[in-house]
Parts: sequence; C-alpha cells; structure tokens
Amino acid sequence: MNETQIMLEDTVNRLFGDRLGWDALTAIEEQGFPTALWAETVEQGINKLLADEQAGGMGVGWADAYPVLRACGRHAVPLPVVEAIIAQWLARQAGTTLPAGVPGLLPQTIAAAKVSITGVKLVNTRTPWGRNADYLVGVAALDSGAELIIASPAGLEIAAEDNIGRDPRDTLNGTASVIARHGLPLSSDCVHWLGALVRSAQIAGAGAAALDLALKYGAERSQFGKPLSGFQAIQHYLADLAGVVASVDAITMAACVGLDNRGMAATGRNARFEIAAAKCRASEAVEKLTRLSHQVHGAIGFTYEYGLHFLTRRLWAWRAEFGGAGEWGEYLGRIAVEVGGDGIWPTITA
Amino acid sequence: MTSVADTLRFEPTALPQSLATLRAEVRAFLQEALIDVPVVKRSHSWEAYDAEFSAKLGAQGWLGMTLPKAYGGHGRSALERYVVVEECLVAGAPTAFHWVADRQSGPLIVRYGNEAQKKTIVPAITAGRACFAIGMSEPNSGSDLASLRTRAERTATGWKVNGTKIWTSNAHRANYMIALFRTDPDLNKKHAGLSQFLIDLSQAKGITPRTIQNLAGGRNFNEVAFVDAELPADALLGTEGQGWRQVTEELAFERSGPERYLSCFFLLRKLIDVVKPHATPATLARIGSQVAWAATLRTMSLSIAAKLNAGQDPALEASVVKDLGCQFEQALPGLAQELCELEPTLAGYGSEYQQVLGSLIQIAPSFSLRGGTPEIMRGIIAKGLGVR
Repeated sequence: MNETQIMLEDTVNRLFGDRLGWDALTAIEEQGFPTALWAETVEQGINKLLADEQAGGMGVGWADAYPVLRACGRHAVPLPVVEAIIAQWLARQAGTTLPAGVPGLLPQTIAAAKVSITGVKLVNTRTPWGRNADYLVGVAALDSGAELIIASPAGLEIAAEDNIGRDPRDTLNGTASVIARHGLPLSSDCVHWLGALVRSAQIAGAGAAALDLALKYGAERSQFGKPLSGFQAIQHYLADLAGVVASVDAITMAACVGLDNRGMAATGRNARFEIAAAKCRASEAVEKLTRLSHQVHGAIGFTYEYGLHFLTRRLWAWRAEFGGAGEWGEYLGRIAVEVGGDGIWPTITA
Repeated sequence: MTSVADTLRFEPTALPQSLATLRAEVRAFLQEALIDVPVVKRSHSWEAYDAEFSAKLGAQGWLGMTLPKAYGGHGRSALERYVVVEECLVAGAPTAFHWVADRQSGPLIVRYGNEAQKKTIVPAITAGRACFAIGMSEPNSGSDLASLRTRAERTATGWKVNGTKIWTSNAHRANYMIALFRTDPDLNKKHAGLSQFLIDLSQAKGITPRTIQNLAGGRNFNEVAFVDAELPADALLGTEGQGWRQVTEELAFERSGPERYLSCFFLLRKLIDVVKPHATPATLARIGSQVAWAATLRTMSLSIAAKLNAGQDPALEASVVKDLGCQFEQALPGLAQELCELEPTLAGYGSEYQQVLGSLIQIAPSFSLRGGTPEIMRGIIAKGLGVR
C-alpha cells in the first residue's frame, strides 16, 4: 500500500475501531441512526474521500479509497459511508457538488419515463438508509445519456425495512422533487457496478474481521486440554478462511486499480471485467467465510452477545446486494462464450 | 489494531507496456510452433516432453531469462519470464523437457554452484538443452520430506550414495538431477543433516532409474536406485548441512508459478466452446464463476511474481495460491462433466473435448500431490497465521 492508503486506513480504523465495539453496535441496532458518529465521519472527510478537492474532498481514486471501503466492512459500519463515497464520486464526474447531510443512494437506474423537469417518480425503490436521507442521489437513463439527479425525499412514502445485517434498506414510493440534474459522462447503470465494487470490498473487510475473531477465539478456547487452534482440523479451517479472504481482497483491489486506470464504459475491455469477477468471487466466498468462522466459534458464535454476527449477518446480506454470484457469473459467462475458448485467456490478460 | 489479513496481501501488479509486446511475440511463436501438435497432447502442457520444442524456445531467448548474462542467461526480469511461462501453459506448449531446469535448477545453480558448473550448465539450460530431475521424495518420505534416508558419505575422491528416490519426473531421460541426501547419519539431526547434490547423470555410475507408469499410462516418473553411486567432490551443491534451507528456497520457485492454477486451463477453453450452443443462464453463471476464479488467481500469482522480482520471499503467499489454485484446477473436470456429461475418452476417440477431459480427469488427482499437498500447504498457512 502507498502512504495515502496507509494513512486513510489508519484514520478509518481508529475512528470506527474506537466507536464501534459490540456494545455500540448493539445500541445502534436498538436505537437507530448514530447521528454523532455520522457527524464525526463527515468531520474527518471520509464520506468525501472521492469528492473533488475544490468541493472539500480529498480527490483520491478508487485504489486509494479501497482500504477505507474494506475497513467499513471490517468494522461492520452501520452508516451509509460507502454509499456516500459513491455519491460523491458521481458528483465529481458530473462536475457538481452534493448538499450537506446524509445521502440516500438510489441503487437502481431511473428510467427516462420516471423523470420530469421537477420530479422523479420512485416505485418500490429499495434505498439504503432511505429513512435517514437528507437528499437522494440517483442516475437516470435519458435519451441524451446518463444524468445525475439530486432530489428531495420530502413527502415520499417511506416503508422502513432492514436487511438481515439490520442496516436500513427502506422502500421509497412517490415523486421526489428534483433539486438538481447534471449530465454524467458514465453509463447509466454505473451505480449498480459501483455498488458491486464497494460491497466486494466490504465483504473482504468483514471476512478478514471474522477470521481475526476466529483466530483469537481459537487461541483462547481450550478443549481436550489444548487450544482449539492446536487441532489440525481447526488449523485447516483457519488456513482455508485466510485463503478465501485473500482472494476476495486481491481481485477487489485489482478492480479498484482497473477502475482508476481503465474506467467502466459499457463496451470494451475495462474495469467491468474485474468488478464482475470481484463481486462474483466475493459473493461466492460468503458461504465459506460465514460457515467456517462460525464453526470455529462453536455455540458462542451463535449468540447475540458475542459479536461475530455483526459481521456474518452483513456478509449474508451483502452477498445478494448489487447482484449475487449468479448474476455476475452469468455476465462473465456471456463474455466467455462470446470470445470463445481461444479468446478467454487474451480477455483475462488484456 | 492490525488484522491478520494485513500480513497476507496480494497487491495488484501493473505489467509494463514492454511486456505486452513480449506477450504478443510469444503468442505468435506458439501459434506457429504448435500448429500440428494434437489438442490432447497440448492439454497437459508441463507434462509433455519435447526436447526439440524446448530447444526452439531456448533459441528464442525465452529460457533462463532471469539468469545472469555472465553465465549465458538473459538478465531479464521475473515478470518477463512470468509472461512467457503463462503463455506457454495456456497454449499447451510441451514444456516438460526444460520445465524444472528453467523454473528452479537454473536459479539454484546460479546461487550455489561453483564457477565450472555455472559456466557449463547454465548456458545449456538457457539453450533448452538441459533436462533436470528433482530428487526429493523417497519411498518412505513423502510429505515428511525431512525424514529422508538416502545417504551420501564422503570418500577419498568425493561421495558415495546409497538409497532410493521416488516420483522423480524424467530421471530416465534427464541430463542432470539435483537431489537431497543425508550427509550426517544421525537421524536425530533431521533437517541439519541434509545436503543438496548436483548430479551429472551421463557420468554417474550406480544410479538406476526404473520408470513407474502412472494411472493414465504416462511414463514420466521414476523410482531411482542409488547403489554405491560415486559422485565427484564438487557434486555437493551449496553448503553441507544447509540442504533443507536450500530446498525450501527451491520450493518457493516450485510453488509460486502460474502452473499451480493453469494445469487444467485447456479444459476450460474446450468447455466454453462445448456449452456455447445451448448455454442456459445457470450454465453461463458456472462458467463465469470459473472465469472469475481464473482472473483472481492470476492477480494473486502475478503479485507473487512481482514480490520475487523485488527480491522478497513470498513463501506464505505461494502456499496460499497453490492451495487455492489446486482447488480451482482440480474441480474443473467435475464441473465440465456436470455441464456437459459426455464420456471422457482416450486419445484418438471421441471429440476433442472428450479427449481433453479424458486426459485431464485422469491426471487431476496429481494436482494436489505434486509440489506439496493441500494438507501441507494449509499447515504452512496456519503457521503463517501464528496458530502452529
């Protein structure tokens, strides 16, 4: 990692490591949005990591942001930090800035028919932290190309719902009044791709944290007169976990570097290939990451009191969000049959 | 507040543009050179032995690439060599003749050989005219390599060797063998009593290889008997008693390469074409998942090459990639049958797909044996995690 990445990762680890112990995560699940922690996150500029420097951001790229995205998974951060990072990057691409406050990132591409000069019609739009959003950010597919739309959630019908990680995924209905619209030099499905990328990074982070817990518990807990991690079967689980974590980490880092260097246009060999590979691998990895980390923990890991579940419940949820292994595998499979057996290696190495 | 994942990180490696040119050259050369080689022979690339092909590759300057120019090497980077190796594997080039020499024996001789050895042998490796065998496993020492018993005793003129090596690929036709023997008879010394030897097989007496047929009918590996075999004094490679450390270094070369996930890549290529006409979304998803794995393993493998290139020791990372790569390539025949349940056939019968499947399904059990089993790899990884 370069110096920027180390500095950013340290900052985020310190902030969330201090503030998000198991008691704090429990309290947030009971009491809802941690306003003070969000304020601190904003104060440290983490949400604006990818915003333009002139807009008060740090102006870094995805490769530098990767350790932060991963740390959000590692600490099971119950805030829309990665969603804010996406929103800010989109604003930078559109040459604009976002309002202050909590963003509600609309995960699905908005169809042209739903957009008017003054309003965006939302139909059952499942939105992370929709209930807490001060403004909405989404991308519309218009005949003239993609547009970044900033809208107000005022007056929308908001059905509160949590994913199994108990993070808000609220269903929005109604017409959101438009605050601003800007042309966006990206493909209109970009939020889906960026969402897949950040969820992969979060899976890498949460998987690493689950492994850390399994290592710690395996060393502390004794049975048959020796620590669990003294048993070869357990050692192999831990080694298997480490390999799976490293694989998700590696391909997601590669996808971030690819995005900075080659972009993600709808055609051509660019970072879409690595992003699809990352989310496919990350989503598949969730099964083993959760199964083995729980197995090492035995019954204690199945309790609410022990906090492994803050990680594993999120892993189960993130697996499907922004497309699961099936969707991304199918995307890559279509490329494979398109280029054929002789073309797949040149595609991988291109 | 560190995470264990921080100790096991595979940073992406950007290959310089000059390597794209090299890659294109290698691809063009291989396409031409392999035009008449049957697909089934190409499917198990690094097991296929073809001295003529190796000499051609050597003439291109693509063997011994990282070895110093002073000894006839090419002084190029580990990443340049990596590109040549991965292209050869994917194309199914028959690389068995030079494989061991280029991968590990050359670097080992440059590091530990004497001047005479370096001056005569390294140029032969670079030219693709030296085939090497590795004498490590013994009938009673497999995964527990350090328990080996083959004994090398000092004599007035050199060394006398007695014992048996096994699973020694190409010993019956190799020019040289680098072997690990016990030079200190005290078995309690285990690792400390081991030394490495460089053996010129054309000169040695008392060394008798007996070919062992594998289950697929292939005749690559051997049991090698050493009966009062006499070796010259300078056959000792490196330092007496340092054999274990030297072998560990050698195994880092052996475990870190792209062959640890690409052995079955030819089957994936064929499978893609076979499923294409009636692929359902579910089938495409399974194929795509393998593509994602391949892309992931390549990123990881390349990251190791970059670490080697920078003079680091990625032994732990290499064990991770070998373990994951083995899972990937060993699962491919099963997946192929799941998606396209045609009978695997012998060479010459059935479609190309069936022949490649028939060949690789028989060879796949060896993927998790050669170069260290997954059980051993996971032990090494567990040690790296601090739990062993």
